[in-house]
Amino acid sequence: MSGARDMLCDTASAVFAEAASAGIAPVEEAGFALLLVPEADGGFGGDWGDLNAVLQIAGVAVPDLPVAPLILSGLGDVDPALHAAATVSLMAGAMGQALGLSIEHVNTRQQFGRPLGKFQAVQQSLAVMACEVRAVDAAAAAMAKRLDVVGFDAEAANFEIAAAKLRANRAVGVVTAVAHQVHGAIGFTREYELHRVTIPLMRWRGEHGNDAHWAQRLGRQVAGFGGRGLWEAMTARAD
Amino acid sequence: MQGFALYPFDPPGDISALRADLRTWLADHQPRGDIVERANCWASFDAGFSRALGAAGYIGMTLPARYGGGERHPLERYVVIEELLAAGAPVGAHWIADRQTGPLILRYGSEEQRQRYLPGIAKGELYACIGLSEPGAGSDLAAVRTSARETAEGWRINGQKIWTTGAHLSHVILALVRTEEGSERNAGLSQLLVDLDTPGITIRPIIDMAGNHDFNEIFFDDVLVPHGALIGTRGEGWKQVTAELGLERSGPERYLSSHALLAALIDAAGSDPDPAVAALIGELTAEMWTLRQLSMSTAAKLAAGEDPMVEASVVKELGNAFEQDMPRRVQAVIDCGWDDNADLARLLRALLIASPSFSLRGGTREVIRGIIARGLGLR
Ligand SMILES: Cc1cc2nc3c(=O)[nH]c(=O)nc-3n(C[C@H](O)[C@H](O)[C@H](O)COP(=O)(O)OP(=O)(O)OC[C@H]3O[C@@H](n4cnc5c(N)ncnc54)[C@H](O)[C@@H]3O)c2cc1C
Repeated sequence: MSGARDMLCDTASAVFAEAASAGIAPVEEAGFALLLVPEADGGFGGDWGDLNAVLQIAGVAVPDLPVAPLILSGLGDVDPALHAAATVSLMAGAMGQALGLSIEHVNTRQQFGRPLGKFQAVQQSLAVMACEVRAVDAAAAAMAKRLDVVGFDAEAANFEIAAAKLRANRAVGVVTAVAHQVHGAIGFTREYELHRVTIPLMRWRGEHGNDAHWAQRLGRQVAGFGGRGLWEAMTARAD
Repeated sequence: MQGFALYPFDPPGDISALRADLRTWLADHQPRGDIVERANCWASFDAGFSRALGAAGYIGMTLPARYGGGERHPLERYVVIEELLAAGAPVGAHWIADRQTGPLILRYGSEEQRQRYLPGIAKGELYACIGLSEPGAGSDLAAVRTSARETAEGWRINGQKIWTTGAHLSHVILALVRTEEGSERNAGLSQLLVDLDTPGITIRPIIDMAGNHDFNEIFFDDVLVPHGALIGTRGEGWKQVTAELGLERSGPERYLSSHALLAALIDAAGSDPDPAVAALIGELTAEMWTLRQLSMSTAAKLAAGEDPMVEASVVKELGNAFEQDMPRRVQAVIDCGWDDNADLARLLRALLIASPSFSLRGGTREVIRGIIARGLGLR
């Protein structure tokens, strides 16, 4: 990560920590609506990679606050697909947190005289979950890269956005199920923090395009490419 | 996630030009093979194709020129192999030699071994097989018992390997053997590079459930090979094999084995597909796109000289699940009989039958998940 992005992430972490108890106001006051606004127009001049990093932190720290719409509002009226793109980044962060909490829990909770994490069945479940988290991370990064190349033109990045939202939606089922399973009853309580990320994940899955929506959209686009054309389109988009 | 930074895939040179050259070359040279041959094509043996590919400079790409290599960047090689796989080219003959045996010989081999084997590998004329599995050593690879004893004349090998893909068509086997008498587990193991025409070696076919002869069992009956057959350091076999497995697990072949089916499904669907088919195409595309990002990032990490054992395992786990699921999901939405003769139906049948092997070869699903769990700090 660049030095500027590191600093941005530090700021975001501090602001979101305050916002966790005070609501969206600190995020507004910190000027996050200017994140994507060009420097020439008085903004921060951030790119989508920056947004991806900041929203991943928001997905962990304040998954219930409307941070993504606030940041996107700086751009004025945007294509709804950009909201889907921002949601993927939130999802990536929240999934990372669900994994982190799960690992911490199985390393501390003991049953049958050893930590749960020492049981092979538990290890296998967490490995499956980690793969999903990793996949969403990669899809979000590829999407951010494309949006930066095309200047946030959602139409030009529709392939990457569709693929990323669809992949993230697919991961929600596995991630929430495994996270809750390995936590046992404590994860189902109000008091423990797992639900703070799993409920938003369930909600985000249906927002800004559910699985059916993006699968149809992407499927129809790809049908237009033809079989060989899919590979050519994929490589042409990345080279 | 700790240690899981995404590496940028940044090959030197003009990648679009490299792809374009290879696509033109393939258009002229790819045998107009049957569609079934184009699926799972890294198991498809065609020595003529491999020789032509080698002559065109697309094998041994990263090896030094003095051994006949192309001195290209590893990520340029990556681009070439993904193009070959996506096109369904029959790359099986040279696959293992190019992917892992060649790099291993370059890294650990003596000068004599390099000169002896690398030029043939780069020409696409010298083929290798992987001698790891034994009847008593599958997932538990440290249970290897095949022994090699050092004598005045050389190494004397006794024992058996099994499931050796392509042994009957290969020139050399890289065998993991126990060189210290009485040693246990992963200590006392070494790797030997054994020419398969050495007296005392018997290769017997094992026919797989698809009716194909790809794998074999190999018996070593007092086989005598020169001292120079030892590759790398005596007793370091385990370490060397682990490095070799990193090369084996991260490549695009872990998610492109079923690609011919996705392409055929898209072609069969036409430009105005049925909604269920369109949805499936969308889902499969999203998964494949994501896998490609993961695989490229892992290749970039490997190229940077780091050891992406965990990342490679993630690619293998997700890739295997994807390519194994694909035929089942296609079967669920298209209407065709088991014995239909249309291309799509034959391809589907072939991949349904081949697909159980995807999560076995190169390390089983359970073993791979164990490696990932270790990466998460659980073991
Ligand atoms: C198509 C194909 C090509 C191959 N090519 C080669 C080759 O070229 N060279 C070569 O050396 N080998 C090759 N193999 C062998 C392959 O590496 C082995 O099949 C694999 O390592 C598993 O060993 P096994 O078949 O003995 O199964 P086993 O080890 O008996 O395992 C059976 C099942 O039990 C599970 N299991 C085993 N131990 C554990 C454990 N501790 N915890 C949880 N689950 C466990 C496994 O994951 C698996 O699901 C090939 C295999 C196939 C299918």
